[in-house]
Amino acid sequence: MKPAFSIIFFTVGSGAGLGLLALAALLDLAQAGGVASPALWRSALLGLVLVAAGLASSTLHLANPRNAWRSLARVRTSWLSREAALSLALFPAAGLYIALEARGVAGAGRMLLALLTVLLSWGVLVCTAMIYASLKPIRQWHTLWTPVNYVLLGHWSGALLLAATAGAYGAAPPWLLMAAGGLGAIALAAKLAYWTAVGRGAPTTLAHAIGVDRGVRGPGASPAAQARLLDVGHSGGTFLTGEFLFVLARRHATLLRAVALVFGFALPLALLIAGLAGWHGVLALAACCMMGLLVERWLFFAEAKHTVRLFHGDART
Amino acid sequence: MKLGLVIDLDTCVGCHACATACKEWNASSKVSGALSDYEPFGAHPSGVWFNRVRHFEVGEYPESKTVNFPMSCLHCADAACVTVCPTGASYKRADGIVLVDQEKCMGCNLCAWACPYGARELDEVPGTMKKCTLCVDRIYDVLLPPEDRQPACVLACPTHARMFGDFDDPESEVSKVTAERGGFALLPELGYAPVNRYLPPRQPAAVVGAEETRALLDRGLASLASPAIRR
Repeated sequence: MKPAFSIIFFTVGSGAGLGLLALAALLDLAQAGGVASPALWRSALLGLVLVAAGLASSTLHLANPRNAWRSLARVRTSWLSREAALSLALFPAAGLYIALEARGVAGAGRMLLALLTVLLSWGVLVCTAMIYASLKPIRQWHTLWTPVNYVLLGHWSGALLLAATAGAYGAAPPWLLMAAGGLGAIALAAKLAYWTAVGRGAPTTLAHAIGVDRGVRGPGASPAAQARLLDVGHSGGTFLTGEFLFVLARRHATLLRAVALVFGFALPLALLIAGLAGWHGVLALAACCMMGLLVERWLFFAEAKHTVRLFHGDART
Repeated sequence: MKLGLVIDLDTCVGCHACATACKEWNASSKVSGALSDYEPFGAHPSGVWFNRVRHFEVGEYPESKTVNFPMSCLHCADAACVTVCPTGASYKRADGIVLVDQEKCMGCNLCAWACPYGARELDEVPGTMKKCTLCVDRIYDVLLPPEDRQPACVLACPTHARMFGDFDDPESEVSKVTAERGGFALLPELGYAPVNRYLPPRQPAAVVGAEETRALLDRGLASLASPAIRR
């Protein structure tokens, strides 16, 4: 898949924002000691701003944005529609919650809004990931690991941002940094498990796609005969070649995976464990993590192989 | 009703008449509007096509065979493009045809990602997704003589490799020929239940005897010999 930067910025930024929002609201609900309320509402606000920026970025991907409002029309069947609807519900709920918390208004109403914010944030995370995971023609996306990874990565980057904001407006208690590190370790494990699972998956072959096993072969050829593209039928590029025929050399993929792992996980985790102090340091770690996640998301697109590639020269997906 | 096409891979010669006829018909069709061409007289011409013919080679010499493979929307019974569309622009009619409502589409490309067969293309000029309409404006046009109320690609094919009809009618040409020739669907394991069927090439029975077979093999014409004797 051709990696579209508007979508990459959207999913990474919005994912971090949703994770941050959910964690800030959760800490408020749990009345966890050590993280001051001024830090929490500012964290939540930063999260909401990131989500808004991400969603705005995603509309750049539309070829006919004047119909974007119609994307709420099919919540019964479409994950994109569900994501749009939940995002829309998230803004008034989270906005009101942040306003109440900033004013210092306590009580059941604020707690209810906090809970709603958490649930809606999780809902948007899951719906966004399911847009990709529901696509059967792309086997690298069609796995439970896709939503699992997306939710974990959003919470890992969100946790780093929360720790930075908490440090800036009060203090980031040690348990918060440890919890962030724990989330990071789980997210790293899940990412590695995803790459392993995809590496082991069964590809679709061109021979199967054009029905060699159903008789599309010469007399005397076996049903296990291979097929190859002779002529794609057009002398120039098409929408399909532009959208789906992204080529990524294996050595580039390996290097980029290493970059994603180092900047997205290894470096931030190592420095957290080393006891990096000060909110400036943690903020730098959060930025480093997001850089790594941008590379990870780019790879998520670049390494995806749609079945239509079989009709354009690939032997298998 | 389950309207769809049958494409005979045995008689298709890969001439692209169906692809060209489709483009020509849709240039004046109100259903999707004209299919845009980008730089048609320039250095890198490209454009929107609903029907594309690709050419594959199956097997190794001397058992190799060239297969010409026209591909357009298969009008799936459980179309993924309809399920994922957030605006409802992509929809399936009661007669089975899957269409894109050009007034509603926002050009998000998700239907193109969901379609395993590459049936949907973005037209950059209006910014909407377009696909084969099964010539819905031809098949119901009472001003056309009955024999012309078929998709343009079906009428244009010089080898009669394309057939149109209702798969829900067991007496229709498409149902009968699918049953006789073992017509198959593409990538059925994905669960989208494509309606269009492809007929595999006929496998002629060898009529040569043992002596002639030996002679053919010596001349390197193994593909004309009986597989049973060769084994």
